Amino acid sequence: MLAIENLHFRYSRRGPLVLNGVDLELKDGEIGILLGKNGSGKTTLFKTILGIQRPESGSIRFDGEDLLKMNRRERARRIAYVPQAIHFGALSVYDTVLMGRVSYFGYKAGREDEDAVEAILRDMKLEDYAARNVEELSGGERQKIAIARALAQEPRLLVFDEPTGNLDIANEQLILSEARRVAREKGIGILTSLHDLNQALELGDRFFFMKEGKICQDGGAEIVTENVIFETFDAEVRIVEIEGKKIIMNGGQKI
Amino acid sequence: MREQTDLRKNRRKNTAAICLLALAVLVLAFVCLFVGSSHMSLADCFAALMKRGTAAQVRIIWNIRIPRVLAAIIAGAGLSISGLIMQTDLNNPMASPSTLGVSNAAVFGANLSIIAFAGGFLDTGNHLSSYTVGANPYATSLMAFLFSTASILLILGLCRLRAFQPGVVVLAGIAIGSVWTAATTILQFYATDVGLSAAVIWTFGDLGRATYRTDLIMAVVVLVGLVFFVFLSWQFNALLSGDAAAKSMGVAVDRLRFISMLLASIITAVCVSFLGIIGFVGIICPHVTKRLLGQDHRVSIPASALSGSILLLLADTASRSLGNGSALPVGAITSLLGAPFFLAIIFSRKGEHG
Repeated sequence: MLAIENLHFRYSRRGPLVLNGVDLELKDGEIGILLGKNGSGKTTLFKTILGIQRPESGSIRFDGEDLLKMNRRERARRIAYVPQAIHFGALSVYDTVLMGRVSYFGYKAGREDEDAVEAILRDMKLEDYAARNVEELSGGERQKIAIARALAQEPRLLVFDEPTGNLDIANEQLILSEARRVAREKGIGILTSLHDLNQALELGDRFFFMKEGKICQDGGAEIVTENVIFETFDAEVRIVEIEGKKIIMNGGQKI
Repeated sequence: MREQTDLRKNRRKNTAAICLLALAVLVLAFVCLFVGSSHMSLADCFAALMKRGTAAQVRIIWNIRIPRVLAAIIAGAGLSISGLIMQTDLNNPMASPSTLGVSNAAVFGANLSIIAFAGGFLDTGNHLSSYTVGANPYATSLMAFLFSTASILLILGLCRLRAFQPGVVVLAGIAIGSVWTAATTILQFYATDVGLSAAVIWTFGDLGRATYRTDLIMAVVVLVGLVFFVFLSWQFNALLSGDAAAKSMGVAVDRLRFISMLLASIITAVCVSFLGIIGFVGIICPHVTKRLLGQDHRVSIPASALSGSILLLLADTASRSLGNGSALPVGAITSLLGAPFFLAIIFSRKGEHG
């Protein structure tokens, strides 16, 4: 579905390359997880895929089509974004989700847009929130609304930047299980970044280790090894297997 | 379903609020027609309105008060929506028509016209009658408009060179605005006493300068802006979520910001050029509206326009009733009337909306 080749990006003309030849491939309905230190280029890669900024060179193709030549609206109907810092403005939950349809209706929402929003609110059990002011909700609830808004775009791929960044454990689980559910039920691919490696292992189908603007390793859960983690994060971990499941534990420094 | 009824109730509340504001504008417009320094009775006013009073009374109503009331409605709406759009565009609650130095540039243009050209391009004489009126009555307004438009284009052009970041626009606006203010000060330093006082009086906003022709020009510009902004309500709503989110939803953020900033600035420039500086409307009205009705631009654009008209109508009526024969500067009254109300809203419990 998504094929990125040799992508380069820098923020200013003489600045350092933040993306330094990224190659990445994600199949239909797959959950891909970017793993890397802060500043390794994950958010920059997301923003480049979403067309928020233009790369210096390289190609991004979506189902064979050149994403860099696609207009904004066309792109918005294929790829949706749940940003790291979420703010909406004082709108109702219903209108916030309806906003996700703006690439379809442009000026005035029609019946089919409203139907789509109502279906999403029902599906995500958010009906009771419809009339509430989105600014009055908690972090977890807002995160959920942001997912609902992204789904309103009827995308094939959801780009999800640090979904659990500011959440408590209950909300973390809620958001991750919701993300997995929509991916599986609706066949939507997800590209996300997570700091918690155990959560990543639980959620992901495919893992991309990112260092200094490059993907240095990618593959299934089998590539998540102590060595790869050490090379990417400069952190020692120990991996144990319990009932066939990999668990990553702090293996080096004492806390 | 309960949530459906809640939603409908919200929508009905918003529609009701807009209707109520529109009604208030109508009522106030009539009240304004009947208040003035000529001490006409209510019956006289009605008669004059029907063109049945004395010739003087008919002239007062039709040639002085009606253009003035129309100017209050149009300019109030224009200044208020300009403020609202700039606040959304720049993601800055303090943004207003003066943020881009629009007003400062207009003041400089007007001062240049009044002080250097004695109000008209063709007349360089130093006699009082030519000041502000000048050889060409539109010269001062035209100069004010030209300089404010040039200032906007300069700032927006500069910002387009680099990424159109809201913070950069605000800083560029402040910098360019201060250049105009400095230039005005130097100009005023060399002015004659008469020229200086004429220039200062020009900067006091005065709705009395309005004529049917200026009202028409302002109405066309404000109406075009209003329709355009209402049409793009959803795009502005998306902009509330930040540039990255808006772009990912398919909004052409840079283009939207450039065009709407330009249009909002032109609306301000036209109003200010004809009427002088009327401050604070662009800050007070959008904020009060957003606090009370939320930030949905489908509601806040028309509601801000109407509340701007209301504030200016009230301020103009007050300025004419308090001035003891001559109207006080309406720009000062808008702040005097609006600021306490503004503070009350900010510090009230309903302060959750941004």
